[in-house]
Amino acid sequence: MRLVWGEDRHDVSVHGPEGETVVAIDGRRLELRLEGSPAGPFRLRMGTRQVSFHCVRDGEEVHLWWEGVAYRLRLEREGTRPAHRATSGSLEAPMPGKVIAIKVAPGDAVRKGDELLVVEAMKMENALRAPRDGVVKAFRARVGDMVNPGAVLVELE
Amino acid sequence: MPLFRKVLIANRGEIAVRVARTCRVMGIPTVAVFSEADRDAVHTRVCDEATPIGPAEAAASYLNVDALVEAARRTGAEAVHPGYGFLSQSGDFADAVAAAGLAFIGPPGGVHRRMGDKKAARRLMAAAGVPVVPGYDGDEQGDETLLAVAHRIGWPVMLKPSRGGGGKGKRVVRAESDFTTALAACRREARSAFGDDVMVVERFLARPRHVEVQVLADGHGQVLHLGERECSIQRRHQKVVEETPSVALTEERRTALLLAGVAAANAAGYVNAGTVEFLLDESGAFYFLEMNTRLQVEHAVTECVIGLDLVRLQLEVAAGRPLAWAQEEVRPRGHALECRLYAEDPDRDDLPSPGRILAWSMPEGPGVRVDSGVAVGSEVPVHYDPLLAKIVTWGGDRAECVERMADALAHTVALGVTTNLGRLRAVIAHPAFRAGALHTGFVDQHLGAPLGAAPPPIEALAAVAAVLHARKTNPTGAGRRPAADPWGRLGSWRLGAGTGGV
Repeated sequence: MRLVWGEDRHDVSVHGPEGETVVAIDGRRLELRLEGSPAGPFRLRMGTRQVSFHCVRDGEEVHLWWEGVAYRLRLEREGTRPAHRATSGSLEAPMPGKVIAIKVAPGDAVRKGDELLVVEAMKMENALRAPRDGVVKAFRARVGDMVNPGAVLVELE
Repeated sequence: MPLFRKVLIANRGEIAVRVARTCRVMGIPTVAVFSEADRDAVHTRVCDEATPIGPAEAAASYLNVDALVEAARRTGAEAVHPGYGFLSQSGDFADAVAAAGLAFIGPPGGVHRRMGDKKAARRLMAAAGVPVVPGYDGDEQGDETLLAVAHRIGWPVMLKPSRGGGGKGKRVVRAESDFTTALAACRREARSAFGDDVMVVERFLARPRHVEVQVLADGHGQVLHLGERECSIQRRHQKVVEETPSVALTEERRTALLLAGVAAANAAGYVNAGTVEFLLDESGAFYFLEMNTRLQVEHAVTECVIGLDLVRLQLEVAAGRPLAWAQEEVRPRGHALECRLYAEDPDRDDLPSPGRILAWSMPEGPGVRVDSGVAVGSEVPVHYDPLLAKIVTWGGDRAECVERMADALAHTVALGVTTNLGRLRAVIAHPAFRAGALHTGFVDQHLGAPLGAAPPPIEALAAVAAVLHARKTNPTGAGRRPAADPWGRLGSWRLGAGTGGV
């Protein structure tokens, strides 16, 4: 399997019974013992060193708390392709919310960072900005629409 | 006999839980209210009763005066605690509660209205000898008049709507050439947000600190101050880190500030707990900003140093009792600090990050207090303020308090939603914060750039791999203590079954 953090991909394999595990990360071998559960912390033992951590899997996403820092990792299994993102030229809703203003019109040239629309979520107004330079091709949301994360709001070309 | 037969808590989240806690201690039964989005929320479970008040949209539920008053009637509540936010500063709500024959745990409607009008509040304070920012709060609102005022005050100036808050319709104008455009924009925003475009013009203070005075007034003529708080660490004009005492005040300035807070409360005809906010400039001069006619989010730091329960005091005042404490009996001790843990992403313009809490573990230990309204399995809805928890530490002095906070944050676990934990840790670790060199632009100045999180260390990746492997090879938890393997339970709540017991 493969663990993905941001743009970093790591090939991972695990051998051995539970409790006495050998993990190889990008070819580097680590011997460790795992104890505990996702309800409380897990405990990782490596020799005498030990670390308490939290780890919860949610679909293909893995949430990790390690030494005070929260990480979101993505899991890729052998034979599966990373999710196809055909809409790299578009702006997607980063969170659920309600579109309360649209700041540009189809045909407008925009620069990276320009405000395209405003989404209200959790009582705050959030400006959504152009991810890159381009020309607004179409709006897929209207003022007043409730949108879900990942919904394409604006197509850029 | 408890003070009230029953109290309805007209709020949600951590403040509803916190108010319920004090009521429970005092033997007062509580009623929780909930919108459709909050059916399983933690605050509904800590009260003795829970009653629905409408759909998820706040306007139809937590901001719905009729629904709340009806809920109080229906459940036989004798008093209503409004918490903070929502209707806590609504004169109409306070009046409606009183008209229904119930006690409102806060000041009466007239006080909310008096202090809610910024222009009128400014005039009232100036008349009472409370310093206000040099500026103009007159009725003549023509462009020329306001421009002439700006000239007289000196650039830059701050334009702000007489009604309103939350930074809407507020602008700093640096030069005359920008004035007319900015004024038009402010009026437009103020009209659409508050239905009123009367403006106040004030001198813009560079790098001010935000300091505030906690006041408490009974209905019998006694007004106490419970010390000050400094809340200079803000993002988007909202506080994220608060502390008491403020390191910026000499004893002499502190006394002057606290007395100004009491004078403001007297001028307002104040009753119950309230906060008088001031800006403190680099010369040490302070100016009245506004009065918050409710309990503040950050009241816990005051409780830590004075050792009194502010919600209990609120309930006693609302029941008509005189304050049991004299000013000289209120003796702050040590230092307290609060960090607000929000479901938001500091690396993406503080965008809120609603979702489900997948792991949750809060710090504990000497001098640590956590007020929260979520648990594992909680949904953080999109409809409301994204505050997850308030992490509060106390120490004998500021240094110990800050060290305890650094350690508490390092042991704060919140997974499933993106949080501002990294930013909080960066603030607390920052040399300027340690030195007490604070101002309201601190976050932008020192932490404006994305934090650029470091990648997970290789041991962490190995740990994740081992967890995933253990789950695959041992999905039922056979051979382990049942309590040690909640994968089955995890599966059930991930499928949306029980959210409670995990």
